[in-house]
Amino acid sequence: MEDRLRISISGIRGKVPQALNVEIASKFASAFSSYLEKGTMALCRDCRESSRMLALSSISSVSASGLDCIDFGRLPTPFLQFFLNKNNYSGGLSVSAGHNPSPWNAILLLDSEGFYLDASEGPEVFNIYEAGWFEKAPWDKLGKIKESVFPFHLYLEALSKIVHFKEIKKAGFKITADPCNGAVSPFLKPYSQFFGLKTITLNDETDKPFSHSPEPSIENSSQAEAVVKATDSDLGFLLNSDGSRISLVSEKGKGLSEEMTLPLCLISLKGKIKKVVSTVASSSLVDWAAKETNLKVIRTKVGQSSVTHTMLAEESKAGGEGSGSFAFLPFSPGYDSLLALTLILDLMARKGKKMSEIISPFPLLVRKKIKIGVSPIKIYRVMDQLEEKYSKENPDYTDGIRVNRKNAWFIIRPSLTEFILRIMIEGKDQKSISSIEEEIKERIEI
Amino acid sequence: MRISDLKISISGIRGIVGQSLTPQLILKFSEAFSSFIGEGEIGVAQDTRPSGNMLKYSVFSGLLSCGATPIDMGILPIPSLQVYVKSKKLKGGISITASHNPVEWNALKLIKKGGFFLNLYEAEELLDYYYQGKFKRVHKSGIIKKEAHSFRIHENKILRTVNTQAIKKKRPKVIIDPCGGAASPYVKNYLENLGAEAICINDQLSDGFPRNPEPLPENIEKLCESVKKYGADIGFAQDADADRLAVVDEKAKPIGEEYTLALAVKHYLSYKQKSPVVVNLSTSRVMEDITKKMGVKLIKTKVGEINVSSKMLEIGAKIGGEGNGGIINTEVHACRDSFTGMALILEYLACSDKSISQLRQELPTYKMIKKKVKASFSDRKRIFNLITSKFKQGQVNTEDGIRIDYPEFWLHVRPSNTEPVMRIIIEGKEEKLINSIYSEIKERL
Repeated sequence: MEDRLRISISGIRGKVPQALNVEIASKFASAFSSYLEKGTMALCRDCRESSRMLALSSISSVSASGLDCIDFGRLPTPFLQFFLNKNNYSGGLSVSAGHNPSPWNAILLLDSEGFYLDASEGPEVFNIYEAGWFEKAPWDKLGKIKESVFPFHLYLEALSKIVHFKEIKKAGFKITADPCNGAVSPFLKPYSQFFGLKTITLNDETDKPFSHSPEPSIENSSQAEAVVKATDSDLGFLLNSDGSRISLVSEKGKGLSEEMTLPLCLISLKGKIKKVVSTVASSSLVDWAAKETNLKVIRTKVGQSSVTHTMLAEESKAGGEGSGSFAFLPFSPGYDSLLALTLILDLMARKGKKMSEIISPFPLLVRKKIKIGVSPIKIYRVMDQLEEKYSKENPDYTDGIRVNRKNAWFIIRPSLTEFILRIMIEGKDQKSISSIEEEIKERIEI
Repeated sequence: MRISDLKISISGIRGIVGQSLTPQLILKFSEAFSSFIGEGEIGVAQDTRPSGNMLKYSVFSGLLSCGATPIDMGILPIPSLQVYVKSKKLKGGISITASHNPVEWNALKLIKKGGFFLNLYEAEELLDYYYQGKFKRVHKSGIIKKEAHSFRIHENKILRTVNTQAIKKKRPKVIIDPCGGAASPYVKNYLENLGAEAICINDQLSDGFPRNPEPLPENIEKLCESVKKYGADIGFAQDADADRLAVVDEKAKPIGEEYTLALAVKHYLSYKQKSPVVVNLSTSRVMEDITKKMGVKLIKTKVGEINVSSKMLEIGAKIGGEGNGGIINTEVHACRDSFTGMALILEYLACSDKSISQLRQELPTYKMIKKKVKASFSDRKRIFNLITSKFKQGQVNTEDGIRIDYPEFWLHVRPSNTEPVMRIIIEGKEEKLINSIYSEIKERL
């Protein structure tokens, strides 16, 4: 089970080297560049110990297929998506496993606009991969390989235009950043200078292994919580390895659930948006925030691909997930942690309120996220059995099984990225979610 | 029978880019090499073929994947890489070059500790890694180091072994044709440092190599013209990875690649020191004449640089090489090295105070035919049988294919390591005789 490769539109993902290795990266890059229109592909990678070798073999394959190659080296995936969105390229490839722990890595495929491939494009690439049907350019038509530096000033300029730049600058916030030694680390200094922030940064050594699990969450917040308290910061935050997710720490040094990020972004954008796309696995805080700001909520399957493509289809500018992910199409099609952070700083600056004050009207909800390892052979059989057991409660089958009850709701679904069942239970009190947890565990037969 | 242009053999991996030589194959081969060599630093050099860049990324990735640390040495001649691997005590080296093959080809040449090619057993072990796909992959890949000044180490080593003062005094005018290959960025400056006046032609790639990269007389017409035009004392031609050297005399005539080695060896034995000489079984008899006259031993080995260089180190021979223009001087390094060759021949010009055509005339003249015929494995056996039954009276040597010696001529028939062909070499004093022997063999095939 540990050795298996997970191939989906959320990436080609696995543990290095037993599941994912340079040979597989090389073939996927060949398949993807054979699928794309001729032109130039842009590439980047996060700071994982295996990312460099996977990126190098990908670059070689892109060149061999006849596409030129622009290599940004270490760069957050959302920056690459921003770049693709503003420029004319054939597509993009990022070597990054975002929130997965260290031996994992992934190859993410991006279209010419910077979106994740959609549910029909992804399988096309996988078919080319399986068939080994790769373009082979002759020696004088090989793609040129160019190393390049990401134009971060353009990114910052675009970001400043969607927020109240002067107010943020004037507020002069003190913030504590924990990028988890990930790809955003080197950008925090110029970002802080640009927005007039006094930033205390922990874990920004990109050559070192992850300081803790790269998943932004309350469990991983303790370091940032302590530093926020010690330095009297106005806000603290945690990022994943490629800067697509963010969770916050209030000025009181209290870690906030990653589920709070999306509702806070929606409140910040009040009046500028009419709809929001989220997933069936995201907190009902989204519904609350949508009500406060007069938004229509559209819920879809989990994953950046389905959320952002639904945003396009539903003409919704905003979208995101409870994992601490947020995208705003007028800015970029990628889940982008610095975008979310800037929107939240904007909110704090305009309201002149502290983070704990901003979240005080939020409904008090308790939630539990559970992972249960299930072998890939059994996972769909288990889902089948659960469907039967819950069929009377009129479940939502958009992604896995979602059941709404009076004081709580829960979702059980197979992960897109790992061989696990992901379960989330959210309710008004601890008692109701505990009883649901027991019930689910009883009903799952592995 | 379909013969693929891909050749995975003990000589490495070779094929045509855009057809058989894919990034995936190069990647796997580099992983096999890295697994075979173990963790440590591996120098990576390339010749000037445009496909070198694409392949280099796969080589880096494959090396990192199995725990090695690649050193990016950029465009560099293969002897310079070998010298570097030895002097910096690297674990090994990879040169991305298809040496004398046309520009659409490329290949990996593999170098082990000490700066040598792999021997037969090592190459077999490497191929086991490759075919079994059992690579020693790691999840933490290291970094890539860079080295831009590696040629200087090679050059300084050569300069210490020759009398540059004598060359400077004479200041011969040299035309150099590196065929737009790996020597191009370095060779003019190198010749100036040796004490020559150097004019470089064909120093760039445009739509492929400016000429066929094999430095045979028929491929170096432009060099001959330039020698004439500039009134030069000598012309040199290198192949794309700069291990082989051809010489053109002051009368603009190519002296033939067999005589490159002969001049260098004769000079070494006459003006520098006595030493046994090692050559391969396909090398001209002129070497026998020279060594007999100088009273030193001549030893013949199987064809292939590693066979000659190992034998040289084993018996402590200082000078030797292969008849195709590959000169080895172990004082620099036990590898074929066109730069060492140029140094010795220029020193010869200076010490003897004679012209190249005079020096050439002092050597006996032989005629040599080098042919290759397409041959599968079954053909090979038939050809061997034919040769042995036809030339029963001669002295037979079966160390590497079949070599048969007669007083008037010798012939050597062996399967190639790099192409699906048999190489046939016949040498004698009488052109008529060797031509008739060749047509006799050809008729029977």
